[in-house]
Amino acid sequence: MGKGRPFLEVFTCALSEDYWFPILELLVLLCALWTFFTAGIAGVSGSYSDFITVEAFTHNLVYSYTWPLIILVGIPILKNIAYGLGSDVEKGIIHTLFSYPLTRGHILTARLLSALVIPLLLFLGISILGFFLFFPDVIVANPGTVALTYAAQLSPVLLTAGLLLLLALRLRRGVPALLTGLTLCFVLFVIFNSIANSIAQGTGSDWSLKIYAVITPNLALQEYCLGTLGLSSGIWVPSFSEVLLYILAGYLLVAVVFIIAYVYFKRWLSI
Amino acid sequence: MSLIQVDDLAKSYGKVVAVDGLSLRVEEGSIMGLIGPNGAGKTTTIKMILGLLRPDRGSVRVFGEEPWDNSDIKRKIGIIHERAYFPSHHRVLDYLQRVCRIFGKPESRAREVLALTKLEDAYDRTIKTLSAGMSQRFAMAHACVSEPALIIADEPTSNLDPEARSDLLDLILKLRHDEHVTFLLSSDIVPELDRVCDSVAIINQGKVWASGGLTELSERLGALPTRISTDNPEGLGELMRELEYVSRVEADSEGVSVGVLAGDDERLYEDVPRLAKEAKAKILAIETGRASLEELFRVAVKYGQGGGRRWEKADLS
Repeated sequence: MGKGRPFLEVFTCALSEDYWFPILELLVLLCALWTFFTAGIAGVSGSYSDFITVEAFTHNLVYSYTWPLIILVGIPILKNIAYGLGSDVEKGIIHTLFSYPLTRGHILTARLLSALVIPLLLFLGISILGFFLFFPDVIVANPGTVALTYAAQLSPVLLTAGLLLLLALRLRRGVPALLTGLTLCFVLFVIFNSIANSIAQGTGSDWSLKIYAVITPNLALQEYCLGTLGLSSGIWVPSFSEVLLYILAGYLLVAVVFIIAYVYFKRWLSI
Repeated sequence: MSLIQVDDLAKSYGKVVAVDGLSLRVEEGSIMGLIGPNGAGKTTTIKMILGLLRPDRGSVRVFGEEPWDNSDIKRKIGIIHERAYFPSHHRVLDYLQRVCRIFGKPESRAREVLALTKLEDAYDRTIKTLSAGMSQRFAMAHACVSEPALIIADEPTSNLDPEARSDLLDLILKLRHDEHVTFLLSSDIVPELDRVCDSVAIINQGKVWASGGLTELSERLGALPTRISTDNPEGLGELMRELEYVSRVEADSEGVSVGVLAGDDERLYEDVPRLAKEAKAKILAIETGRASLEELFRVAVKYGQGGGRRWEKADLS
């Protein structure tokens, strides 16, 4: 007997534990409501003439529409990985999972598919469908910018997920992992963001923005698209190739964090 | 054939030594008990056998293979953890059917194991609503789903009331008898292991103080309980109390029970006719049993606390 069936069963088991009724349904509803809401606002407030370029308009539209959705799906990701996996280790459910004929890598993958990939698929599915429904011309006119904005938006989400995973495995307890995870998100996306911008505005130098853009490549894309209209008021205007480089660096960082988590889980996690 | 081979196993948590040079074998078809006081290293040993903990030193082989991250041997092992937790939102039968699918067994096996563990009536309940005792029985049912050749159980009878405990021990004996399942059981409730185990490893302070078959251990360490049926228990008992190698003498209306150190039972058999003659007592029967596991455990732990010195008979008195 292969590993496909056991893997599928562990995955669906994790799925039903992570999203007991009506969590997933509520999430879908909120995402759908936000899509309609945004479409309505964009119809009255957004217009191409406000922006210098088509890229800037497209990026701004995709970004404005997707970031609240990312926060929406980020909540279950935070809960599932930090609290869910931490609690699995704390309560001993991981012992039960380890008694099944699967490798540790398979178990972690099944767990992450449920905790991380399902919310992300939900996000991608609903948001792309929303775009095709309400802004088909934007997607057709500028698919590259749309794809890059999505890529740049998802990189920090994946990075946070990886760090939460490491936290959960290291702390091995649900509530402390959740609280530390919340603090981590606040530090990464509020404190660091403020510090990087303050330094840039105060010194007129772009190095702090460049460092922060590795964590959130969307900053580089935003500054590239908006130019002097960007948040840094033109202090940093990266080239297109730089933007690609930052997105790549962001994903490399994500890959490193996940590789560390997998290796730790497979080789060293003693429970 | 040894299903479990553990050699020179060691594990420390910081400065606390949990297991220190532990070796043991679990033979196919046997029920082996791992007994020891709280903190003796039983759970740590079991976790290393299951590949959940990395040993600092030594080797573990289960079915001849290294257990760490080994998915193949999991098909042959049923596991009951000291704290058994399962995904709590599932219904009992649904979850066991899922486990059947995981192990490639027909879903009807789920109802079989529920019947085996007397949980048929709880099939529709969610796992989180099970009582502690029912959860323990559910853990046993869960361990049996894959029809394992080996069941490793850490404190399997904890949380069970006496009747459920007895049922579980019966089930262990039945599984061994009917399905030739090998067991490694840990417990600090010694009398219950006495009922089911053919061999034990008595561990304390992370080491095996004594191991082997119960009879062999009894002969090596124990005070053999001897029962002498006589028509003059009081008189015979009085004289037997003077024998220096007898540890305990209890007379009742039908005879005398004495504790004799291993190796001295032959002296007793030589002395009894002489003493009976002296006490004008008629010997109706004389029978020597084996020491209880509890007594062996007490002796082994005492031996260990003596700092590893050779076991002396005087320690029993």
